[in-house]
Amino acid sequence: MSRVLQYAVIVIAAMLTASATLAHHSFAMFDQSKTVTIQGTVKDFRWTNPHVFIQLMVKNEDGTEDEWSIEMTSPEHLVRVGWKPGTLKPGDKITLNIHPMHDGVKGGQYLSGIGPDGQPLIGTPAPSQGQAK
Amino acid sequence: MILRKLTLAAATMLCCVRILGAQTRMPDWSGQWEIVGATPNASGGMVQPLDEVLKTMQWGPPNNPQTQATVDQFQGIIRKRLEAIRSGTDPGGASGPTCTFGFPMVMLDSPLMFEVLPTPNETVLIFSGREVRHVYTDGRQHTPKDELWATPWGDSIGHWEGQTLVIDTIAVNSPFRNVPPGMIPVIAIGAEIEQAVITVLSPEAHFIERIRMPDKNHLEDQITVIDPTNLTEPWHLSRTYQHVAHLHRMVYEDCEGEDRNPVVNGHYTLAPPPRGESK
Repeated sequence: MSRVLQYAVIVIAAMLTASATLAHHSFAMFDQSKTVTIQGTVKDFRWTNPHVFIQLMVKNEDGTEDEWSIEMTSPEHLVRVGWKPGTLKPGDKITLNIHPMHDGVKGGQYLSGIGPDGQPLIGTPAPSQGQAK
Repeated sequence: MILRKLTLAAATMLCCVRILGAQTRMPDWSGQWEIVGATPNASGGMVQPLDEVLKTMQWGPPNNPQTQATVDQFQGIIRKRLEAIRSGTDPGGASGPTCTFGFPMVMLDSPLMFEVLPTPNETVLIFSGREVRHVYTDGRQHTPKDELWATPWGDSIGHWEGQTLVIDTIAVNSPFRNVPPGMIPVIAIGAEIEQAVITVLSPEAHFIERIRMPDKNHLEDQITVIDPTNLTEPWHLSRTYQHVAHLHRMVYEDCEGEDRNPVVNGHYTLAPPPRGESK
């Protein structure tokens, strides 16, 4: 392996670490090619670093409920778009759009949603206007 | 005796006047700032697609042929690996949690907000990932060579030209894990884990920044990178920072906290925090 390629392999790992700083991990477990919509009742809104989680009880085909773990970004990023620790409460009935897990585990990456009032949950902010210069 | 007391009083007054004068000359850059064009979303990624990041932010480094060849090689490997991650054949490359972007990335393309605290002798930039840049403006020179070693934030001194803070930074190294000495990658980050290697700087890189407030809601940083080892000429770029909406206090990232995504059987999985945990 050439020296440059050796360096490249090392740096790639480092770069993915850098990208992981956005989420503090890899996005690899989420199936980015699929978007799934789930409806359910909030069991818990776990507001904590480095990631916030929505624990959602979702009815399955048997009529029983499964607990889904929906991962969001960090509190630092969420407050900047208007989320608060009290944005969701246990008992809230909501609809979420997620990237599901590759391995079939009941969980996923938060994308967007409809809140208990029927309004869209606070979502992606409007893109910035780009660099001024 | 009276003369001594009068002299002492006059000296004290002069000192106070000078300190007050210096403080009144300090610009008010209070509040939280974020990079325009590097907006985090609620999912754990960035809002702007990589194409937009590449188009709207000034990049275009004057890489020399050897640097460009290295950049191209890195980029090819990254592209293949991202495809493998998306298809699920690669478990991902995160080697551990970290919030450290280091300089210059923390000023160029980072989703983390920051505060700027100018004082007469030092200006401090505090980032939500707990990174801190100390810029000494008391007239000192850079740390002597025999006392200096490279860090992810470098050694910064500065001075004021009116309301513009001019920062001179040397002795920077990469914060990214496992990067061998001698390489400081600069990366553009877009939505959906897209990223592009912009350049790789050398340890000789020398950075000059001019930070000013063009209007009350924006800061501007004009950056010049001088790196004859890896660049053919000085690299000029600028960034604009805007006040963070919805927020009037610092909220910290804690990337070193609990791992919510442990690797199980070679694959990342989810580990939600226990109920009631707050960090």
